[in-house]
Amino acid sequence: MFRKVLIANRGEIAVRVIRTLREMGIGSVAVFSDADRTSRHVRMADEAEHIGPSPSAESYLRIDRILDAARKHGAEAIHPGYGFLSENAEFAAACEDAGLVFIGPSAESIRRMGSKTAARRTAMAAGAPVVPGTDHGIGFEEAREFGRTQGYPLLLKAVAGGGGKGMRAVEREADLESAFRNAASEAERAFRSAEIYVERLIRKPRHIEIQILGDRHGNMVHLGERECSLQRRHQKVMEECPSPLVAEHPEMRQEMGEAALRAARAAGYYNAGTVEFLVDQERRYYFLEMNTRLQVEHPITELATGLDLVRLQVEIAAGARLPFTQQQVAWRGSAIECRIYAEDPYSNFLPFPGKITRLTRPLGPGIRIDGCIYGGWVVPMEYDPLLAKLAVWADSREAAIERLLRALSEYDVSGIRTNIGFFRQILEDAEFRAGRLHTAFIDEFFERHTPPQPPDELTAVAALAGALHTLARDGAPEATTAAASQWLRGGRSDLLR
Amino acid sequence: MKLALTINGVERAIDILAPAPVCRFQLGDSAERSAHVETPEPGVYSVLMDGRSYDAYVEETPNGLVVSLQGHRFEIEARDPRRWSRKAAGRGGEGVQTIASPMPGKVVRVLVAAGDAVHAGQGIAVVEAMKMQNEMKAPRAGKVLSLPAKEGATVAAGEVLAMIG
Repeated sequence: MFRKVLIANRGEIAVRVIRTLREMGIGSVAVFSDADRTSRHVRMADEAEHIGPSPSAESYLRIDRILDAARKHGAEAIHPGYGFLSENAEFAAACEDAGLVFIGPSAESIRRMGSKTAARRTAMAAGAPVVPGTDHGIGFEEAREFGRTQGYPLLLKAVAGGGGKGMRAVEREADLESAFRNAASEAERAFRSAEIYVERLIRKPRHIEIQILGDRHGNMVHLGERECSLQRRHQKVMEECPSPLVAEHPEMRQEMGEAALRAARAAGYYNAGTVEFLVDQERRYYFLEMNTRLQVEHPITELATGLDLVRLQVEIAAGARLPFTQQQVAWRGSAIECRIYAEDPYSNFLPFPGKITRLTRPLGPGIRIDGCIYGGWVVPMEYDPLLAKLAVWADSREAAIERLLRALSEYDVSGIRTNIGFFRQILEDAEFRAGRLHTAFIDEFFERHTPPQPPDELTAVAALAGALHTLARDGAPEATTAAASQWLRGGRSDLLR
Repeated sequence: MKLALTINGVERAIDILAPAPVCRFQLGDSAERSAHVETPEPGVYSVLMDGRSYDAYVEETPNGLVVSLQGHRFEIEARDPRRWSRKAAGRGGEGVQTIASPMPGKVVRVLVAAGDAVHAGQGIAVVEAMKMQNEMKAPRAGKVLSLPAKEGATVAAGEVLAMIG
C-alpha cells in the first residue's frame, strides 16, 4: 500500500480524500493556490505545498507544478478528486510517466470516455442506447442541417464539456446562431476547446446514473443508481439513492447497471466511474456520458451500500482485487444529499462568496456532512460555489426526507447567502414527495411555488429579533427620551453579554 | 420605543415596551406580547414566547437585515431617520437609475464609457464570481452619468457599477 498520496484538488473533495487516507494510515499532501492558504484541506493534510496564484489555470490546472510537489514530498500516488485535472488524460499519463500512480482509470480509458463524442461512440459500440445526435464536433452549418432533418428542440453541447458549461437548448432555428456562438465561447473559456456537438433534446428527462467500480484484474461491479434530476443551470443540486423511479421499477437497476458495465468494459475501464443516463417519460434510458472519476454525489452510494469508495479507489490503484462480487453488493434504506452552495436561490442562483461569520452544523442520527468551511473563513470567489454536501440516511425515502428537513433546520451559515432555505421548500413540495422528478423540476417549482406565509407568531418573533438587533447595533432612535436610552443601554448590555 | 420596520415589503411599526431579557413589545395593532430574549451567540436570538422556544438568526446585508426562523426568511429594513439610507442615496435623484452588482465578485469587462448613450437592455459591465459571469444591463435608455466600475476591480454585493440618467 502507498505510504503517501498527494491530492490534486481543493475544497470539500480534498478534505473527503484526506479523511479516508488518514483512516488507512496513509500520509496526505495537499496543494494550494494563493487563495487557499487557510482553506480546510491545507490545514487538515499532513503536508502541504503552494502551487501558484489563485486562478486555477496557474495552480490547480498546472500539471508540472503538481508533479513537482509530488516529487518534492515523496508522494507515490495522486488522487485527482473531481473537476480540475481529474478527467485529463494527459495528466493521468504524465503521472504514470513520472512514476506516480494515478488513482483513477488509465489515460487510454479517459480518452475513450473523456470527450462526450468519443464516449457516445464507445457506448454505441457496446450496444448502449444513446440520444440521437452527432458523434463528432460540428460547425454551425452542420448544426442547422441537423435541426432541419431531426427537428427542434435540440441541445448544443461542448465536446469537452461537463457541469453544463457550453450547453444551450435551442427551441427554433432563429435562435441557433447566437446559441451556437455563445456555447462555443463558453466552452472555449471553460475547457479551452470551442468544439460543439448537437443532440436531440429530450424534454423533462430524469437524470439517473450508475456507479461502477472495477479493478485492474478485469473484475467490475455496479453499485446501483443515483437519481440526480434536480438541477439548476444543468448542475445537480440534490441527489438520491435509490431513485424513486427505480424503487417503483426495480428491474431498471439491473438493466441500467448492465448497460453501464458494458460501456465501461468497452473502454477498458478500471477504478471508480459513473455512467450517466437520461430517462424519458416512457422510462426509456439513453447513455449520456461517462464521468471517469469519483463523483461529487458519491456519499449517497456509500450510505446506501456501506462502502467507502475512496478507500476502494486507493486499494484498486495499489493493485488490489475487488473485495466483493456483484451478488454481495446490497442496498439498504434511502440516502439523499443536498449540495450546499454559496449562492442566492432567490436571485437566480447567483454565486455569493464572502466571509462566513457564523456556522452551526446539524448533528445527530443519520447525518453526514462533507464540507470544507469554517466560521471566519472567506469563501474565495475564484472557485466553484460548493461549500458542503449534507447527506442523510434513513430506512425509507419518507424518513430520509423528514431527517433532511430536521438537519436543514439545524444548519446556519451566516455572512454569505446559501441555498439551505430553498431545500426546505423543495422537501415540503408535494411533487417532490411523490418522487415525480425531472431536470426541469426546479424551474417549474419556481413557477408554481408561492413561499408559504409565515404564521403571525413567527413574524412577531422575527420583528422582535430584527428590532432588538437594530437597537443593539445602532442605538436608540433620536426621539428616544433619556430614560428610555437608559433602559435600552441596559438591554443592550444584556444582549451583548 | 418605536421603530418603523418593513418586513418582506410590508410596513409595520414595532414598539419595544420593555427591553430584553424580559421583553414586552407590540407589533402594529396586535396585542402586547411578552417574551424572554437571550443572545447566546452574536446575531442569534433565543426567544421564549407563550411557552414556545424560537431561535432567530439575524444577518446583516447591504439591503437590511435577513432574519431566518424555522425555514422562513424575513427581509427586514428598520428605518431610523438618523441613518444614511443606501436606497435613497443610491437613487440619486429623479430619473437616475443605479446599476449595482447583485453579487460579490470581480468586474471582468466594462462595456461602455462615461458619457455614452445607451439603450434599454444594453450591457454595461460583466461581473464574475465562482466561474459564473453575469452581465449587468441598462434598465432603460439614457446616458452613462458615472461609471465607478473598473475592469479588474473587486466589488461587493450592492456596490454601484454605473449610474444612468
